[in-house]
Formats: sequence, structure tokens, C-alpha cells
Amino acid sequence: MSEEITTTVLGRFSAAFAKILAYAVMILFSVMTIYPIFWLIMNSFKPTREFQMSQLGFPHSPTFNNYIGKFGAWKLGDFDKLIPNSIIYTLGATLGIIVLSVLAGFAFAKIPRKATAAIYASFVIGLLLSVQSLLIPLFLEVNILGIYNTRLAVLLVYVGAGLPMGIYLATEYIKGIPTSLVESARIDGAKYFRIFRSIILPMTIPVATTLAILNITGIWNEFALINILVSKTELKSLPLGMYRFSGSLSSDWGKQFAALTIGTVPMLLFYIIFRKQITQGVAAGAVKG
Amino acid sequence: MARKKRIGREEGRAYWMMVLPALIVYMLVLAFPIVLSVVLSVSNYNGGKMFGGEPWQITGFAKYAKLVGDPLFWNSLKNNLYIVLISVFGQLPLGFIFAYIIYRKTVKWPGFWQGILYVPNIISVIVVAVLWSTIFSPNGPLGEAINSLRQGAFHAKLALIFTDPTSLVVSDDLVNKLLALAGPKASAIFTNPPSELKEFLMGYSPNQVQQVITDLTNMFAQKWTPAFLGKPDIAMLPILFVTLWIWTGLYMIIFLANMQKIDVQIIESARIDGANEGQVMRYIVVPALSGTLVNSAILCIAGSLSSFSLVWAMTGGGPNHVTEILAIYMFNNAFLGRPDFPLANAIALVMVIVSFILIGITKAVENKFGGKGE
Repeated sequence: MSEEITTTVLGRFSAAFAKILAYAVMILFSVMTIYPIFWLIMNSFKPTREFQMSQLGFPHSPTFNNYIGKFGAWKLGDFDKLIPNSIIYTLGATLGIIVLSVLAGFAFAKIPRKATAAIYASFVIGLLLSVQSLLIPLFLEVNILGIYNTRLAVLLVYVGAGLPMGIYLATEYIKGIPTSLVESARIDGAKYFRIFRSIILPMTIPVATTLAILNITGIWNEFALINILVSKTELKSLPLGMYRFSGSLSSDWGKQFAALTIGTVPMLLFYIIFRKQITQGVAAGAVKG
Repeated sequence: MARKKRIGREEGRAYWMMVLPALIVYMLVLAFPIVLSVVLSVSNYNGGKMFGGEPWQITGFAKYAKLVGDPLFWNSLKNNLYIVLISVFGQLPLGFIFAYIIYRKTVKWPGFWQGILYVPNIISVIVVAVLWSTIFSPNGPLGEAINSLRQGAFHAKLALIFTDPTSLVVSDDLVNKLLALAGPKASAIFTNPPSELKEFLMGYSPNQVQQVITDLTNMFAQKWTPAFLGKPDIAMLPILFVTLWIWTGLYMIIFLANMQKIDVQIIESARIDGANEGQVMRYIVVPALSGTLVNSAILCIAGSLSSFSLVWAMTGGGPNHVTEILAIYMFNNAFLGRPDFPLANAIALVMVIVSFILIGITKAVENKFGGKGE
């Protein structure tokens, strides 16, 4: 009897201890995650001189001078050109990935064809391959094709890089749609494109959303590929623009922080609004066992 | 019969019209570059127009031999493997722990922690790299924080020596105590510390004790200069740290989503039967997630072998190639100085091959240890 009491007391004690430990871990890592970002945004409102004196304190008199004006980060970093470009690349490539993936996914899943096994497998192998390791051949290829320094090159590479995941998720999803729906429409004489448009497409909205979420954040932040595809300012995206502030402009901390903040806030807002969908999409996108 | 044939043709046409756009883009972006890489890596092509320009031909495997003989190649491969290791044995376990804590409801507000820990994933790697290299820089906030702690401690020690906070009495005893506290810093500032320090103290009026303490703190408190990214032997550490910082949250999300698929009743009945938390984790949760763990490891390996942006923006591979990784080594060979495209393409293929080998090993480990374990 007394032994039992001791174990429950011990059990309760260790449970309380585990709780405290768990909170400590979560708080520690959350602070480590959030504080640097907060620090970055806070310092973008400090003049560089003040930053050099005190990096950790709050700004004495917050100022927008790092952002605006002739020599502000906005003008200096050409953000008025970068942001539209980033939007074009992100939306264009995401849309391209979704359309091509859902189309091919429908064909793979619902049109019986001998070729499917091999083609589909070639896409799935692509999941293990990172396009980033092909930087150099891709650079040479866009030069052969004569599309270096064009939006087309960026969109092409981004769509291609997103296809393995897109095709995989779309095909697996469409496989789950009952084949009888397609078959009965076929018997009624409907053509495949019509079946796709009126039956399949509306049903693929969930997987299309997942693909959108996976690709929007990825493409918006992509750096390595676009870095070798364009060199003209008019074609650059936000990450390329922000990278400039790590080199020649890096000693002007105030402006550097302002530039980084400009690049971060849109995605941060996107995340705050769509947090649930983003985390769900990421979980769904992680290739299952 | 004719109708059937017509239907078959329509079927074939529809199939290819749906598949070809994706297939062509995929060929252009993944398949063709690989073929190009294979061809160029055994050629002597060196820039210029590929067709109709300066002629080039297949010359054999000389570039691979050069690669194997280049210490810079082995150095960057080593750095890449560090990143792979910290990813597989750092991000995954840590992500698992976070997910488990949230899953078992050990802490309240699951969505809150999840939401915060995932934030680094949605920020551009460039921002993260610049941010952290500022934090780790010699004049960065890390130094400021640690130095202000040190100054506070030194200040407190000085306050113990100046027992009377209102009047300054300069004695040999006081000077000796101060010198003992200052240590080697004193002889670095003064040529003859005892007399010069005494003279220095005599310069203050007796009621300036606080001022003396402040000035002495500034003078003698040890200063620490973080210079992680500039010191060759530890320059990789910040990169590894930031690698953890960014992607741990991603694996937390993946693991948590898969934990939530586990039937709650299994765990509840195990708890009722007296299983403790550790046993629940070991015998229920880990086996249920083994497939996810393996796939995450594969994701980690493929991602970390080709990673480029983070290191590029943090150190650029410097100082003096110390933090160079394969992608940067490849980039430099192609774009820096005299371009060596065959060598760069050989590196690209090595990256692909190494990542397939590591993925193969991961799969082999999975098969050996019972895989899914269901």
C-alpha cells in the first residue's frame, strides 16, 4: 500500500518535472527563433550610428530613414523592380507547376497506358534529385537556348524544379478519385479533356492548394537558381536584391536591416494569414512512407 | 470496330497532350542538364558558343582525376558531410522532440509553439544568412551582450574594493587590489602599472568614486571578440548552427502530422497498462514513424548535399576556402577566374552520385532494422 503511494507521488513529481522541462525547452527554442527576427526588424528603425553604439537596445527615436529617401534601402535596392518580379515568378511558376502536374497526374492515374510506368517513375526519381546541383549545366543550357537573362528561363527552371513533387502529389491524389466516375463519363461518350475539366479539376482543389503553398514560399525565397539565370536588375527577384546588401552595402547596417525587413515582411504576413494551410500543406507534401 | 479505334486514338492523343508539356519541361530542366553534365565533364569545352564556336571534344576522365587529387574537393566534401550529419542527427532528433512534446500535450497551446518554431522556414535563406553572420560578426550583438555581462561582473567586483562609495582614498593597498583584479590587462596598458595607476587615480577628486569605477571597468574588464566566421578552425560551427536553426521546425511539422495519425486509443491503453512515457515513445511512436523518419533523412541528405545559398551568403566559402561546400566549389570553378566547365560539371555529377549513395545507405539501414516496424 505505502509502496503504491510512493510510486504515484514519484510519478506525479516526475510528471511535473517533465512539464517544467518541456516548457523550458519550448520557451528557450522559441525565443532563439523569434528574437533574432525581432532584433532585425527593430534595428531597421535605428540609424546606423546608433546601431554601432548599441545593438541590443530599443531605438531611441525610431526612424524610417533607412527605408525612404534617395539613399534609402527601397531606392538603393531597386525594390520597386524586385517585388513585381518576385510576384511574377512566384505566381507564374506556381500556376505552371499546378497546371502541368494536375494534367499529367490525371493522365497517369486515369488513362491506362503502357508508357505510364516508366514516365511516372522518371518523375519520382526526380524527387531525390536537387536541381541546385545542376546549377552549372543549367546555366550552360539557358545559354545554348538563348534565354539567359529572360523571365522565361526563370519560369522554365522553377516549373521544372517543382514538377517531381507536383506530379507525385497530383498523381497519388487523383488515383484516390474513384475510377468509376471517369468510366461512366467515358461510356456517356465524354472526351478525356472534358472529363478532366468538368469532373477531375474541381476535385483536385485540395492538392492544388497544397502545391500552391509548398511552391509559393519556396519560389519566393529561391536564390541559387535565379542567381545563375539572370544578371539584369530589371529581372532580379527579392533574394537577389537582398543579397546585394550582404556585400558592398553591408557596412551600412541600418539600410541592410531595412532591406532584409522589406524582403521578410511579405512572407511573414503570408505566413500569419495562412499558417494553418501552410503547416498542413508542408505535412502533406512530405513524401509518405 | 471503327468506333473503338477512334476512341483509342482519342485516348492516346489526350494522354500525350496531357503528359507532354510536363515531360518536356522536366526533360529540359532535369534530364538534359544531367546528360549535358556527363558529356561536358569528360570534354575540354571551355566557355564560348557550344555549337559553332571554338571546337571542343571528348577528352576522357582527366577532370575526375584532377578532382580526386584536389585537396579543396575533399575539404568541401567534408564540409558537406558535416552539414548532412548535423541535419540527420541534429534536425531530425530535435524536430522529433519538439513534435513529441506538442503531441503528448506536455505543453499547452500546441499551435503557438508550432507556429513559432516553423517561422525560419518561410524566411529567405539570404535574410537568415545575413542576419546570423551579423550576429556572429566580431562587432556584433553577441559580443555586445557578453561584454556587457562581463562589465557588469567587473563593476560589481570593483564596488567591493571601493568600500566607501562617497570618498576616494588612494592608497598602495587599493592600487594593489586593483592590479590584482585587472591581471595582465594592467601591464598591457601601463608600462609601470603600480605608480602609473596611482597617478591615474590621483587625477580624480575624492567624490568621483562612481566615475572611477566606470572608467576602470572600461579600462580593465576583459573584452571578448566573437570571430567565428573568420577563424578557420571554428568557421563551420555557425553554419551548422544556422542549418539547425532553419530546418528543425520543418521536421517538427512533418513528424507531428504523422504522430497525429497514430490511433490515440493504442497509447491510452498502453498508459493504463502501466507503460511510462519513455516506453510509449519507444514502442509506439517511434515504430509508427519509422517510415517518415527514413523519408525525412532522405530529404535531409538530398537537400544538404546540394545546399548553396546559406553558406554562399554567410561566408562565401571563406575564409580561404575553409567553409567551402561542393556547390560553392563547383560555382567557383565555373564562374571565378578562368572558367573550368568540365571540372564544374564533374563536381555536379559527384554531388548527385554522393547523394544517391547516402540515400542508398539510408534505405539499406531501414531494411536491416525492420523498416516500417508495423
